[in-house]
Amino acid sequence: MSPSAEIPLDEILRALLKRHLTDAEVYVKRGRSRRLERTPVTETSATSQERAWAVRAGNRRGSFFAAATGDPAPAGPWPEPAPGHALELPEPETVPPWNEPSDFDTPLIGEREGLKVLESLGRDLTSELPGARLLRAVLEDGSSEAELANSRGVRSRTRQRISTLYLEAAGPGAGPGAGPGKPAPQASLYVAAREPRRFHPTALARRLADRLAVAAAGAPPERDTGEILLAPGVAVRLLAGVLPLLVGPGPGSRLLGARGRFGSEKVTLIDNGRFPGGAGEAPVDGEGVPTREVVLVEEGIFHQPLLAWWQEGAVHGQPSGCTRRPGWRDLPTPGPTHLYLKPEPRTPVASLLGSVSQGYYLIDVTGPGRFDLAADRFALPVCGFAVAAGRASAPVSGAWLCGGIGTFLRGVAGVGRDLTFHPLDGMIGSPTVLVLGLELRAAAE
Amino acid sequence: MPFDRLDTAAVARSLSQIAEQPEDVVDAFFERREEVEVAPEGDPGSLRVWREEGFAVRLVRDGRTWLASRDAVEPKAFAESLRQVARAFSAATYPEPALEVAPPEPVTAPELLDFPGALSRAVRAHHVGFPLRVAVRRHRRWIQVVGPRLIGEAERETFYSLTAESSWGRYGALLPRLDGGAAEEVAAAVVALFRTRQAQPPAPVRGAAVLGPAAVAVLLHEAVAHALEADTLAQGGNPEAAVGVAMAAACLDVLDDPAAAPAGVRRSTDDEGASVVRRWLLRGGVVEQPLADALWARTSPVLLPGAGRRGTRHLPPGPRSSHLEVLAGETAPDDLLAGAEEGLYFTEASRGRLDPLSGEFVLHLPHGRRFRRGGLHEAVGPCALRGRVSDLLTRVTAVGNASRPAGAGWCAKGGQKLPVWATAPALRLEGVEVTP
Repeated sequence: MSPSAEIPLDEILRALLKRHLTDAEVYVKRGRSRRLERTPVTETSATSQERAWAVRAGNRRGSFFAAATGDPAPAGPWPEPAPGHALELPEPETVPPWNEPSDFDTPLIGEREGLKVLESLGRDLTSELPGARLLRAVLEDGSSEAELANSRGVRSRTRQRISTLYLEAAGPGAGPGAGPGKPAPQASLYVAAREPRRFHPTALARRLADRLAVAAAGAPPERDTGEILLAPGVAVRLLAGVLPLLVGPGPGSRLLGARGRFGSEKVTLIDNGRFPGGAGEAPVDGEGVPTREVVLVEEGIFHQPLLAWWQEGAVHGQPSGCTRRPGWRDLPTPGPTHLYLKPEPRTPVASLLGSVSQGYYLIDVTGPGRFDLAADRFALPVCGFAVAAGRASAPVSGAWLCGGIGTFLRGVAGVGRDLTFHPLDGMIGSPTVLVLGLELRAAAE
Repeated sequence: MPFDRLDTAAVARSLSQIAEQPEDVVDAFFERREEVEVAPEGDPGSLRVWREEGFAVRLVRDGRTWLASRDAVEPKAFAESLRQVARAFSAATYPEPALEVAPPEPVTAPELLDFPGALSRAVRAHHVGFPLRVAVRRHRRWIQVVGPRLIGEAERETFYSLTAESSWGRYGALLPRLDGGAAEEVAAAVVALFRTRQAQPPAPVRGAAVLGPAAVAVLLHEAVAHALEADTLAQGGNPEAAVGVAMAAACLDVLDDPAAAPAGVRRSTDDEGASVVRRWLLRGGVVEQPLADALWARTSPVLLPGAGRRGTRHLPPGPRSSHLEVLAGETAPDDLLAGAEEGLYFTEASRGRLDPLSGEFVLHLPHGRRFRRGGLHEAVGPCALRGRVSDLLTRVTAVGNASRPAGAGWCAKGGQKLPVWATAPALRLEGVEVTP
């Protein structure tokens, strides 16, 4: 049942108008989720049901934001708007046709099925790397419906379905006797998909096992450069670090080189709120504005930043529905939904790896990175392999991938076909990328 | 109190129907939250109000937990939740206890509207002036825990959070009150950020560092409290094996005492309804009593419950610290600096992180000053104190003789964000690594 079947959104808007709040928006949301967690000694199964709303209202003199659980009532109680800040709301726009994905209707994962997935992940990990064990595995599966109405005439109704999986594992050497002060190789993964049946336990266990094996056996080079192949999990972290340059009318042009070049000709960056199969796929954004595909950078040439409707005219570019509203507690904020580096369908990862004569294949990120956009530099802790003549020659861990952000974008020499999205600031996607001009160091500085 | 009219006896009777085994932990957790924020000047929706209430029903049996939560306090939803967590008779219908709660009060928060002005005046009193984006929020929470046999005391908490952003950095704080003292405390911190904005980070060094109470609070929260949470200890083995381990210098006594927290956040019971205890985490540097909740206390007679906290009703509780207390030592403030030839002095820490498996620890310090022969000298910019917990804590060589409220911060672990408070003296550590 849609939220508004019970809640009179228009009546609430009229009640707010009677209080001289000429601009108003009502948002209601219903959700349900299941959360399953396993540790070596505990197991948790939680189900929750969410029912909540948010109202933004104001006039030329002031505005407020109020959000609460339960159902909104026309009578409120509403807070008094704080003076000095006007509220702006979008006008209605025609929403292009969109077919709701069929998996929106799939039921949430059952308790037994979900725990079985986590159990098999643990088993697969141990078989991939004897002695390794899962320290924590959390599977969350949720679905929701939201409805929105504003005083300008915008009406929207959206559904969401998303699952996330968090895994934390320790390699051989962890266990009784280990603990603070006794290091053991460890790794974690966080992935998202529209529904949990899209997670592949064996592939995820292999990815964790690779990370643990590399962490246990690898060492960082003191300082080296060369051809560096970045797996999607590494490339997306670099893209996420660049986001402040791509969202909003601010500093997008900072990295532009000669003739408006933002990256190499292999770099095409797109944001698409309707990305088919994407975890956040929706016809409208969190303010009811239609979503669409926006090319931000095409073959290295910067076209425009990601712009919300109220940023139109601030810089060159067309706005799109890019205002995110992860939950009823959140104020709508512009940001990417599915932002990705366009893959090259004819380039398998194996051919990129085969083309590396001397360099590195970095398979994952091992911690938070450091980005200094003003100084055009970054440092990202990574692990992977040294590569010689297209073959892995030695494991690498404890290393930092360092360089300039502009160098990274302009140094992209090859792009694979294995586009993969990761839940970062929105869903950020990238295929495997071959980069020149970056350095691998033993320390970040 | 919103839950005064809750029929707790009827709730307890309902819960007793799903507690089938003597060792079962069964409870209902009712909560109401209210947050009111005055956003920075220029932001739309400048007055922001969040209100929520709901409950969770939980059953713990043999290390397994079942939890069902709702965003409403309603009899039908309660009975449905009981059915979801019950392990037997899942088709049975459960009674619907009367769940009457008081309606929310109208929102008034004049202290929030006044604070940005008070802060601005306090900054000007330092003879500086600069643009500052200030957001200040009041957090209120009421909880009631009911078990089949035990009905916990209703609890309430009120505190404030603040963020102040300027071109040279962001400062965040939790405050038990919004008064003149709070304005001065925040002003001093943002003025220090301003005055050290061009200071260069120190070159990598191993030597002496003196930490002020606020930095000590972050250090010991990460390095002692997190390290001694029963679930963190379990990642490396048996939590009770930690008891008796010499983890820090003998001069270090660290407790967790929620009943001694600042007024407004002081607690007599935890989020599981169990009485809180004055818990010696470290006595003379030796681990005495790790942090445990009801679940972990069942695993060992050595572990005491009373430290169960929940950031939200939608997640089960976990063992966490509430109010860390570091006992004062004997060293006068001047002697803390004079006791080492030279070193670095840090009043604030912006954040810290402990890797529970490796024991690697990082404390981020936004600014500091060099000291030589007991006197403070030039400022240094952002840097980090790094080390392995087992080594770092043994390097404490002196404990200040004045313990004072040492601020607080948000602590996020396992998806649950909780406020944590501290009372601490200054400390001197020697032979520690500081890097840019």
